[in-house]
Amino acid sequence: MRLTDASVAIRPRTAWEAIDLGVLLARRHAGLLMLSWAAVTLPLFAVISALLWQYPSLTVLLFWWLKPAWERLPLHILSRALFGDTPTLKEALTALPRLLKPQLIASLTWRRLSPTRSFDLPVMQLEGLGGEARGKRLTVLGQRHSGGAAWLTILGFHLEGLLWLGLATLIWLLVPQQMETQFDWETLIQASSGKWLWLEHLSNLIYALVLVFWEPIYVACGFTLYLNRRTDLEAWDIELTFRRLRQRLVGSAYALLLACAAVTLMLPAGDALAAEPVGTCPVPFDDPAGPDAERLLNQPLTSKAAHEGIGTLLDNPPFENRESVTRWRFGDEEKAEEPSEEEIKDFAELLEKLFKLSEWWGKLDPVALAFEVMLWTLLILAIALLLWRYREWLETFGGRLGLPRRRVREMPSQLFGLELAPESLPDDVAGEAERLWAEHPREALGLLYRALLSRLLHDFRLPLKSSHTEGEVLRLVEGLQHEELGRFAQALTRHWQNLAYGHRLPPESLKRGLCEGWRRLFGRRAAA
Amino acid sequence: MQPNLALSSTSLLDTRRQVETPEGIDLILRPAGLMPRALAFGIDLLIRGAILLGAFILLGVLGQFGAGLGTILYFLVNWWYPVLFEMLYQGRTPGKKTMGLRVVHDDGTPVGWAASLTRNLLRAVDMLPFAYCVGAISCLSHSSFKRLGDLAAGTLVVYRDEEPKRPQIPEADIERAPFPLSLAEQRAVLDFAERRADLSGARRAELAAILAEPLDSLPDHAEKRLHGIARGLVGSA
Repeated sequence: MRLTDASVAIRPRTAWEAIDLGVLLARRHAGLLMLSWAAVTLPLFAVISALLWQYPSLTVLLFWWLKPAWERLPLHILSRALFGDTPTLKEALTALPRLLKPQLIASLTWRRLSPTRSFDLPVMQLEGLGGEARGKRLTVLGQRHSGGAAWLTILGFHLEGLLWLGLATLIWLLVPQQMETQFDWETLIQASSGKWLWLEHLSNLIYALVLVFWEPIYVACGFTLYLNRRTDLEAWDIELTFRRLRQRLVGSAYALLLACAAVTLMLPAGDALAAEPVGTCPVPFDDPAGPDAERLLNQPLTSKAAHEGIGTLLDNPPFENRESVTRWRFGDEEKAEEPSEEEIKDFAELLEKLFKLSEWWGKLDPVALAFEVMLWTLLILAIALLLWRYREWLETFGGRLGLPRRRVREMPSQLFGLELAPESLPDDVAGEAERLWAEHPREALGLLYRALLSRLLHDFRLPLKSSHTEGEVLRLVEGLQHEELGRFAQALTRHWQNLAYGHRLPPESLKRGLCEGWRRLFGRRAAA
Repeated sequence: MQPNLALSSTSLLDTRRQVETPEGIDLILRPAGLMPRALAFGIDLLIRGAILLGAFILLGVLGQFGAGLGTILYFLVNWWYPVLFEMLYQGRTPGKKTMGLRVVHDDGTPVGWAASLTRNLLRAVDMLPFAYCVGAISCLSHSSFKRLGDLAAGTLVVYRDEEPKRPQIPEADIERAPFPLSLAEQRAVLDFAERRADLSGARRAELAAILAEPLDSLPDHAEKRLHGIARGLVGSA
């Protein structure tokens, strides 16, 4: 037994934690343990049942009584698996007869009802103690944890019962309802009459199956309790760390010493040494086989092992995080097959027939045309009818559907605070301006400018916006390519700006020019 | 040597679970298995039974009204007893307290209402088909001993850490270790001194002899020197 090979973390635990560890240990080797247990006990169960067919209760009692004998097998497997030497199923089964020999009678008689059975078993089987030595050993070991072992047995007893009842209930629940009428509790109670023998044997079988699940865990828990007690008693954890420490401190020194000695012994004569500069461990660059060659072959950790170790480390999280994604997709499409000659021939025939058909159709052209016209007419009529039928609906909700509509350009009613509606203007703008000029030149010029803007907006359809400045309006007017209007607008705008913002009165001479200009431009139109 | 150790220790079977906090501190949780949990449940069952029995005897006097109250009480005791205890009593029912257990989230934080309600409502599933069979099987086959309710709620039943007692280290001349010690090795030297009373004299000498050579001392004196190193590690007290 080498502690460094142990596959469980060795440290002192409480009794409960030791039992938990046993559950984990049994879980790790569950397949082997259950399989071996089933391979041994189920045939035996069958034999006992066959022999005692008339006495099912006796069968289960006998089977239960023999449990300690078979518990030696899981313990054997676990004790080897603990140190990394897990036996195969075959090895385990062949070892069974040897395991059964020692103290079998005692196990099956006066020690059968001991509550600490699982805890005591390793002392007998693994330490090979018997008689007085065993008793003393158990006294020492049992100072602690024997309580835990007893609780384990008590709980195990209850758990067996629970699982047995649970499995039986499950089967009972699965019985179809039509059959249930035949199962009456009264008849079940009278089962001992012999008619229901098979039912009792079924319940025995359920018990045997429950044991397949539970017994390895029970043995493993007892085993880990025993291990924990010994860890406690002999400070295995301390020993383990001390040995590693010693190896770290002394072992490396030893290795160095040995290597030096080896080199000294193997050294050839002085000349050869001078001629050969090769050391035992060449620098990777000088090594002819390159840096990938295997090195450090004479020590526990060779370069290859280290390389593999690093590889596996780098292959696992957090360095590599793999995930597999499963999703549905169509099966592979069938490959297009090369057309065979026959198919080509068929295809040619088909073409020929189609050609003939089209010829025949040619004769039917006028009829077809008539039909076509009729069908199209029907379609158009139907659409028109639909539109008519739903005209109100379309009017109401058409806007909401986001149908494109001609956007009505909004005309501003005011620009620079000036009223632009044609109705607000006097009929004879030029005359009115002339009349006002003498007393209210400001109003006169304002009227002209207002009228100009109104005309531009309503007659020339200039896209004026309330955000436009006078200059921008002028530029738009230039875009109209109307020379006379352009000149008129320019002059009027300049004088209007001078008056409105600069408070400089327009010269008297301007009155005639502007009013005449207005008449020339718009007078005719107004008259028309 | 060190990375090798780390490699092998990851595959070692252990009941402990490490939870790393954002600060890089490893919290150690010790999930509890079926046995202590079953015992805790048994204790709780007895307490609940006693409460109900007492209440029913008292309420029996009140006739039908009492029967109604009794039904409500039965509901509360059956479904809210574990939830309320877990929420208001640091994740412990009386049974769990007796067994030194408590309920926490998977990451070691105290259990919340949602998790507690989930894990206790799912007892209805764990109970199937008879007396917690599903729960027991789930508990025995999960690496952290979770029943279905725990799986759904993301909770763990762990052992409570006991208050550490001040250990006694035997008298010896304080000295510094002649070689650097890793944390685990320091812990082992301290353990060796602290668990002196549990070990037989012969076993102590045997253990100390392992380190006699690196300590450059006779095997007989190694134990004394290890105790000295342990005192040195603890510091003056």
